[in-house]
Order: sequence, then C-alpha cells, then structure tokens
Amino acid sequence: MQDEKKIKTDTENSKIKKSNSISDTKQKVRIAGYISLVIAILFFSGIFKDVEGPLRALDFTNVLGSFGKLGTLSEGSGSIAGNFRGTGGAGVRDGWLFALTLAPAVMLALGVVKIVEDLDGLKAAQNLLSPLLRPCLGIPGFCGLALIASLQSTDAGSAMTRALYDKGFINDKEALIFTGFQFSAGALLTNYLSSGAGLFVFLEVPIFIPLVIIFLFKFLAGNIIRLYAMRIKEV
Amino acid sequence: MNEKSEKRNFLQSFVLGARSGFNLSFTSMAPNVLFAFAMIQILNLTGLTDLIGIVFGPVMGIFGLPGISATVIIAGILSTGGGIGVAAGLATNGHLDSSDVAILLVGIMLFGSLVQYIGRVLGPAGIKSKHYPMLIGVNLLAAFLAMFVTQFLV
Repeated sequence: MQDEKKIKTDTENSKIKKSNSISDTKQKVRIAGYISLVIAILFFSGIFKDVEGPLRALDFTNVLGSFGKLGTLSEGSGSIAGNFRGTGGAGVRDGWLFALTLAPAVMLALGVVKIVEDLDGLKAAQNLLSPLLRPCLGIPGFCGLALIASLQSTDAGSAMTRALYDKGFINDKEALIFTGFQFSAGALLTNYLSSGAGLFVFLEVPIFIPLVIIFLFKFLAGNIIRLYAMRIKEV
Repeated sequence: MNEKSEKRNFLQSFVLGARSGFNLSFTSMAPNVLFAFAMIQILNLTGLTDLIGIVFGPVMGIFGLPGISATVIIAGILSTGGGIGVAAGLATNGHLDSSDVAILLVGIMLFGSLVQYIGRVLGPAGIKSKHYPMLIGVNLLAAFLAMFVTQFLV
C-alpha cells in the first residue's frame, strides 16, 4: 500500500516537475512582443511627461489628458461651465466625461423606440412600407418584417433574409438586392440613435435631416445592386 | 419575455429599452469613444494632426471637409462607434464645425463598420463571395456620393 502511495506521489511529482520544466524553457516570442513591452514600459514610466515635441505622446498621463474646468470665480464674478464635462478638457479623461454625457440621450432614445415597438408601431411602419418595396427596391412586400428588423440589428436582418431565401419566398437575385440594401447603413435605426447620438450636440440642422439623406442613399445602394443583379445571368 | 411584448406597460417598455441603451453606452460607446479620444490626443501631442490635415486636404475638400476628417473616414470604416468617437473628439477640439459633423455623420452611418458587416451581413445572408467586391464598392460609392450631396444641404 505504502509503496503504491509512494509511486503515486512520485509520478505526481514528476508531473509537476515536467510542467515546471515547460515553463522554464524559453517560449517563442514574436519580435513585436519585445517592442511592445519596451514601449509599454516607456509609456508608463513618465520619462516623456514633460518633454517638448511629439515624444510627449508616449506618456500615459499626457494621453490620459485632463477633465474640463467647471469655471473660475473670483470676488463674486467669473464664468461657469454649462455641464459637468467642463471646458478645455483633453484626452481620455475628456472622452470619458463626453461618453457619460451621451448615455442619457441613448437611453431615452432606445427607451422610446421600445415603447413604440411594444405598441406595434414598427409593425405599422412595416405595413406602410411593404407596398413600396416592389417599386422602390424590386423585392416582395413581405420582406417588410426583415427590413424593419435589419434597421434594428444587422444580424437579425441577414438571418431573416437567409430564412426567406431558404424557404423560397425570395429568389437569389432578390436576396442579393435585399442584402445590398442592408449592407449600406446596417442597423441604421439603432446605430443612429446610439452611436450617432454622439454627434447630435454638434449639429445645427434638425437630426432627422441627416437621417433622411442616409435613407435615400441606402435605397440608392440597394438599387445599384438591383441593376447589377438584373444584368448578371447567374447569381 | 419577448413573446409577451404586448403585455408590457409604458414604464416596463421604456425601462427595457433604456436598459439596452445603458448597456450600449457603457459596453460599446464608451470604450469606442475612449479609444478615439486617446488617438486624437496622440495625434495632437505628436503634431500629426496638422500633417494629416495638409496631406488629405485636397481629397477631403471634394466633400467640403477639412483634411483631418480622413481619420474619421478610416475609423468609421472599421467601426461605426470609432468613427463617431473620432468625429466627436475633433469637433470638441474645434477641428470640425457643425456642417462638417453633419456630412461625416451621413458618411459614417452609410459605410459604418463596413469591415465588420462583411462578416455579419454578407456571410449569414448566404451571398456568394464573387459579389463581395461589387457590394463593397456600391456601399462606398453610395456613402461618398451622400457626403458629396450633403455638403450642399447643411
């Protein structure tokens, strides 16, 4: 019994030794690995914090930047920034505060869209859109559901297109046209109201104007593919 | 939960949507914006901003944009959030004015995440790869045409 135990522990020990010896041997490292390590050490070292010229970009603190100032007050007079982002910030810190300022707009927009969706508002849009699909895009009206889905999620749109094709509801040319339409400005509604919202504060035109332009050119892209699909013999 | 969508009241619907907005903001937008602001800070610190502005000035001028917008185009083709982040950073620094932002917003939305969508749209839809060059070309053509037209509208 004892011998058996001993053998067991011996084999276990040799296993541990083996794994140790594996970690002892030098691993192959790409040259980029060493370069990145050196740059990282320099980046965090602070050596370049106060240098003049381009090398100051090689410093963690400098890239981190600064929060904006909330204003200055002296003897009861002065100015104060419009919001917590302040003025004159730079770098990643300013980016963080900027990202924080976006969150309410995105949450409000997607919250409202969800209400509209749950009230069947998107189904209504689908019904209004379906009769237009044949003349405007050369695809059957029942692609409306997939089209509305593709405005919210590219993945849902492409999966539904594939399902329509597999079940024989659309032919291969129609699938190509429909995909071309989805490929331009994919997930437009979601992207415009989430990512796009990041630029709304800088716009002077009403936010629906860029959206209308984007929609028109999305349909243009679909129609160029429609011409292409009509001209080729085999898809 | 999804099947019972019509049984949600206003509050529940809104909270559900707002929650996905919160997740998008902090898991997708914030990291993208942070990356973009870091890039812009590096461009500013190195002085590359001016160089890019001069080199790409003539090309971007076609769309009524300053040369530095080229960085937005490149970032946007890789990821929509990245393009938006770079544009926002440049607008904050005063490199872009409101009409520049409108032109770029149209462009970013149309060609946005082009590289990712090759895998996420064309692949799952079952499109044969021989059509990819055409689809990519049309995508970019439509986006740049839209930007060209937008400069006269905003």
